[in-house]
Amino acid sequence: MQSEFLQKLTIFKKNRLAMVALFVALLLVVLSLFASLISPYDPVSTNLENKLQPGFWAGNWEHPLGTDNLGRDLLSRILHGGAISLRVGYMVIAVTAFFGTLLGIVSAYYGGVVDILIMRVIDVFLSFPPLLLALAVAASLGAGLQNAMFAISLVYIPQMARVVRGSVLKVKTNSFIEASRALAGGNVWIMGRHILPNIFPSALVYLTLLLADAILYTASLGFLGIGIKPSTPEWGAMLSSGKEYLLMGQWWVTVFPGIMIVLAVLSFNLVGDGLREAFDSKLKR
Amino acid sequence: MGLLRYLLKRLFLLIPTVIGVTILVFLLVHFIPGDPIEVMLGDKATEAARQALTERLGLDKPMYEQYWNWFVHALQGDFGMSVQSRLPVTEAIRSRLPATIELALTATIVAAVFGIIVGVSAAYHHNSKFDHLLVTFSLVGVSIPIFWLGIMLMFLFSAVLGWLPVSGRISMGAGVQEVTGFYLVDTLLQGDMSLFLDSLKHLLLPALSLATIPLSQIVRVTRSSMLDVLSEDYVRTARAKGLPYRKIIYKHALKNALIPVITVIGLQMGKLLAGAILTETVFSWPGTGRLLIQSISNRDYPMVQGIVFILALAFILVNIIVDLIYAKLDPRIRFE
Repeated sequence: MQSEFLQKLTIFKKNRLAMVALFVALLLVVLSLFASLISPYDPVSTNLENKLQPGFWAGNWEHPLGTDNLGRDLLSRILHGGAISLRVGYMVIAVTAFFGTLLGIVSAYYGGVVDILIMRVIDVFLSFPPLLLALAVAASLGAGLQNAMFAISLVYIPQMARVVRGSVLKVKTNSFIEASRALAGGNVWIMGRHILPNIFPSALVYLTLLLADAILYTASLGFLGIGIKPSTPEWGAMLSSGKEYLLMGQWWVTVFPGIMIVLAVLSFNLVGDGLREAFDSKLKR
Repeated sequence: MGLLRYLLKRLFLLIPTVIGVTILVFLLVHFIPGDPIEVMLGDKATEAARQALTERLGLDKPMYEQYWNWFVHALQGDFGMSVQSRLPVTEAIRSRLPATIELALTATIVAAVFGIIVGVSAAYHHNSKFDHLLVTFSLVGVSIPIFWLGIMLMFLFSAVLGWLPVSGRISMGAGVQEVTGFYLVDTLLQGDMSLFLDSLKHLLLPALSLATIPLSQIVRVTRSSMLDVLSEDYVRTARAKGLPYRKIIYKHALKNALIPVITVIGLQMGKLLAGAILTETVFSWPGTGRLLIQSISNRDYPMVQGIVFILALAFILVNIIVDLIYAKLDPRIRFE
């Protein structure tokens, strides 16, 4: 098990595109972690005299990426925005991983009525277009990062539960499960000790791809101004506030946050793709 | 099993799901923290107005009775009155729905047609520079936030180049006689070519932005599925017989390669509906998505409930259609 895992990591390391993406992704993570240390200015304090200043391309090194419509330093806001996007992303992943895995394992392991009940409820959640569900829930709960995070998790828990259920159904048929039961292994023991480690690779791949999606959904909620307060230095919200100035030629407020979203989503997607190629034996040629 | 029986079975299995959807949509109002009446009317509302809205929404009744009332009315297509405009929610949705369908349908067709053509030619020129370029583009395509792409396209084609209109469905003051509600069709029925071109110009950028993500996915899947099929024995046989490669691709391989593509198109429909909400907001496209966002900021919850329910139903319906096409292409599905 251990060596197989390492072997697959070696396959991943040989994927140059995925390694570059991993580097970019880690860079983004580090920059976000230390956002408040690196940021030259406060991301929320406004200075109207300084509004919509162009950045380095106009020789302005005080605000390298310029300032926004309320005179806030764009670079500082972008760095903090990364921290916010990633924080929402991690929390969505943690919540989704926990509940998705739990529901998926319980549903597949016990089968029967439990399975039918859980799957029917999951079907209901999957009947909504993903963003719509997050929007509706976030709209009801009101603004706040925690609410946005909860709303986005609601989209992914059912999907994750399905993925996990599928893998558990395959693992369940192995004879080592039967052996453990013959040795008086309890249900919780079997689920935790034998099933969980075996579904780990597919869950990991799914969660990496989910991080990219979660960043995109957070930005979408921010752009629509739902679930995230407009003053929050969130990439989608920043981009939305710059929209009206774009047509007047002040492009930087809209362009830079957009580039950051693309960079973050693309790098996490590529890392996820790389992991999937390494871990999903079906794709190996 | 015939297709009709398969359809009936699917519809029957849907009943519990749709009931679940109504429960969830009904509960949306009850997720509101604090007093929903105060949230909807603001704290300056008079006691009489509060009382009236409480009664109208039935919030003074027990929960199960509220749900039952809502459910029975919803089944008849009645989602109550808009808190904002005091007009029936259903009426508002009906007038906005064609705009969304026109946009989503155009985007789907653009994505499917171009996606399949480009995907097939990438597979045809496998490992060439062209192939690598397309793969890179499709990777970036799935990672671009649709609203940002929309804004950038609008900036380039409307603000800088001035080729296309910034927003809306048709130029101000243009008299479109609504028959179907689809402006592309209505303007043609009217026989007014300049109005048709006008609505086409308005549709172009929103449809392109909306099509980008599904287009990229379809390119990726068509390419890999085509490559799979091209390594099959029967393709080798056809080549050995001396059939031209192009003919093998279009006559033999494509039909089999399309099955996973159909699945992906189906999977993309959810993202497309969600994307329509964002695209409509960017381009001020007067569809249900924009109405939803406006209603959310106006705290018009009956309207929000109605739109969310209708869009969920649309999504369910689209999925059934995709499954039917799928079952038609691959008869094994029907016997599961």
